[in-house]
Amino acid sequence: MAKFLGLDKLGLLIKTIQHYGGIRASLYKLYRMDEVKIGKLVGTDKYGNKYFENPRFFYSRNRWVEYAPKYGMDYDGSQVPAEWYGWLHYKTDLLPMNDPSRPKYKWMADHTENRSGFPEQYTPYSTTTPKIEAWKPTKQ
Amino acid sequence: MLRLGISKVLSGAKIQHVAVVSRAASDIAKKPEKIEVFIDDKSVMVEPGTTVLQAAAQIGVEIPRFCYHERLAVAGNCRMCLVEVEKSPKPVAACAMPVMKGWRIKTDSEMTKRAREGVMEFLLVNHPLDCPICDQGGECDLQDQSMAFGSDRSRFTDIDFSGKRAVEDKDIGPLIKTIMTRCIHCTRCIRFASEVAGVDDLGTTGRGSDMQIGTYVEKFFMSEMSGNVIDLCPVGALTSKPYSFTARPWEIRKVDSIDVLDAVGSNIVVSTRTGEVLRILPRTNEEINEEWLSDKSRFAYDALKRQRLVTPMVKGCDGQLKPVDWEAALLTVAKAMNQAGNKIGAIAGGLTDAEALVSLKDLLNRLGSENLCTEHTFPMDGCATDLRSTYLLNNKIAPVEEADFILLVGANPRLEAPLLNSRIRKGYIHNETDIAVLGPKTDMRYDYEHLGEDPSALNQIASGSHPLAAKLKKAKKPLIIVGADAMARADGGAIRTAAMKLSQELQSNIVDGEWKVLNILHKVAGQVAALDLGYSAGVEKIRNADGIKVLFLLGADEGTISRDDLPKDCFVVYQGHHGDHGASIADAILPGAAYTEKQATYVNTEGRAQQTLVAVTPPGQAKEDWKIIRALSEILGSKLPYDNLDQVRYRLEEVAPHLTRYGAAENANYFKQALAISTMAKGNISNSPLDVKQKKLEDFFMTDAISRASPTMAKCVAAVKKHMESKY
Repeated sequence: MAKFLGLDKLGLLIKTIQHYGGIRASLYKLYRMDEVKIGKLVGTDKYGNKYFENPRFFYSRNRWVEYAPKYGMDYDGSQVPAEWYGWLHYKTDLLPMNDPSRPKYKWMADHTENRSGFPEQYTPYSTTTPKIEAWKPTKQ
Repeated sequence: MLRLGISKVLSGAKIQHVAVVSRAASDIAKKPEKIEVFIDDKSVMVEPGTTVLQAAAQIGVEIPRFCYHERLAVAGNCRMCLVEVEKSPKPVAACAMPVMKGWRIKTDSEMTKRAREGVMEFLLVNHPLDCPICDQGGECDLQDQSMAFGSDRSRFTDIDFSGKRAVEDKDIGPLIKTIMTRCIHCTRCIRFASEVAGVDDLGTTGRGSDMQIGTYVEKFFMSEMSGNVIDLCPVGALTSKPYSFTARPWEIRKVDSIDVLDAVGSNIVVSTRTGEVLRILPRTNEEINEEWLSDKSRFAYDALKRQRLVTPMVKGCDGQLKPVDWEAALLTVAKAMNQAGNKIGAIAGGLTDAEALVSLKDLLNRLGSENLCTEHTFPMDGCATDLRSTYLLNNKIAPVEEADFILLVGANPRLEAPLLNSRIRKGYIHNETDIAVLGPKTDMRYDYEHLGEDPSALNQIASGSHPLAAKLKKAKKPLIIVGADAMARADGGAIRTAAMKLSQELQSNIVDGEWKVLNILHKVAGQVAALDLGYSAGVEKIRNADGIKVLFLLGADEGTISRDDLPKDCFVVYQGHHGDHGASIADAILPGAAYTEKQATYVNTEGRAQQTLVAVTPPGQAKEDWKIIRALSEILGSKLPYDNLDQVRYRLEEVAPHLTRYGAAENANYFKQALAISTMAKGNISNSPLDVKQKKLEDFFMTDAISRASPTMAKCVAAVKKHMESKY
């Protein structure tokens, strides 16, 4: 009966709002992530991104990431580190901390996000000599 | 020199073959009767002594030639111009043979064709077939004429036995590359060197197939116009070293322009490709440069890519110049100028165009300042620069070759204006011109009477006490050419007055009403336009003005003013195209365009307005100069009333109408009145010796912001210095 009236959806909404801690916080999530859904927190990476899973959603929507609050609205896919990438994209079902085949060496570089559009972006340099040689002021 | 010297001695008269363009030619009392000849059965009336080639040219029949060049003596050794003359058993060389009455000349008969094919075959036997790697390819006379007149097959089999002739290359300096195997021995370069340049270094050794063109011993071709042999060479034996393997003539875009590296205003063609200036060639203008060009004008173009100011810069709080965008730079400059009120000064350099000069003057006048001056000094006492006749080469450049007496006062035309010097030399060789020099003894490539270095000799000549005075007074067409260095002296005004007085005296003896004795030779291209527009000459005005708050340097790079001459808090703005002295003392830099990058007006030393055209775009963020000043004026709140080039030129026309009459040299007058005003000024000629800044050839190459940035010019200076140490 409750199902027939859609009350379970209402219950889910209330549950979600409660999960996020109130209407205001839920609206912020909606604004930031374009959706509000609840799931099981399966892990957090070292940058503060949270990874969720909820098998109630269909495949490809049932794993997601909630970017760390420090990114604000400036989040993008390259902020997911390599070790979580595989789980998030269904390359593996093993969570990174449970995967025995992942060696960790101290020389391995830290993950860096794509900085295109920022001052520290990568720009390819020209290997040809410039046609015009500019004057450089002498240091005084 | 030797070649003509002998013929001069033997004939004792004018040499006929080089036509001296003469205004007085029409004055010759009796004209010889014309004679009739037939060229390809077309009748043509020519004067006696005309060659077959010239007669054919009169009706538009062009006879192929390699060695003949209309501005050089006739050599007649290439034999390409052979034509058939009826009733003559052998073909005759058209370039050397004067026509006789009633001759029937056939320029496309079977005999002529066969003669040309034969000559071409012999030339190609001794010429390598390396056109694909030859720099002359595409603009080669031999290539073109072998297509037009050569045989369609070769009988040359000797390649399998003794091979082709091979000649060792000569090293004749950093400008001219020689590949002597390609030489066809037309001797144009030899004739140019000895007749026009006056450097008798080139010659031939050996005969027949062992003949070689060279300098006998290895030495540099020490001339200020050496580049012209590259244009003269009909094949690829002499090519341009800086341009070698750069481009093909069909890839490049050609833009007609004006040279600004000296005050002659030579006409040039700027060749560009992909936004780069690749080479500069002369453009024929009989009234200025004929078809020659000085080496500085021809080869300094590589500086247009070096030491450029490409972005506006402003001095930061740490005292370093930092690149900024146009808005920030203009706001900074405008702020400084607003705070300065009318305590603003401006100095215009030697490469500045008339459009920039007039907009800067309008701007400063609107702000209430009259402190506008040029970097190069000129006397400002007496009649100052109010009358144009006191600062122009009044008699123009071309008639210089008609003069019969030239007095050079404190000038070295060979290095200050090489193309004017070539006119003087032409007069010296073909017209028996006598030349006297008052000033330091320098090598001008012609003989002259040296009158010492004491400028007061001018007064002695005028009063008649000098031995030269009688000779000068007898002259029918005397010229007095006063150099810019003499004018830059503290007593320049007195020297000018003395020269004016002497000229006025001589002027009264002259029949030709057009002839002007008084001539001033400037060294920089921008000076005449600046004086026309009312700039005062010399930076004294800025030095003496108290409390200048902003100094605007418009391309002023000669270092005539330094930080020590200015108050401590003075804000220096530099607008120009090269980073040189001006940019190094500046607090803000506004990058402008060089002469190949803007359509701009320049006035040469004879007062002839000419315009440059845009060959390439200015590099980086650089802009045309008048546009920068116009933009600045809007930020300052006193907007200049012109938005495009036509409107600026309309303004130019308002100030001085001759500035927009391109190509024409307006005559200047009021000599008497100028003298009357000048004599009122006090001041006497001091007895310090006259001096010129450029004395030796090594002083010629690097004289302004552009040529100082040129690596080719630096190589030339090094080569000349090295040559000075060698024993040849």
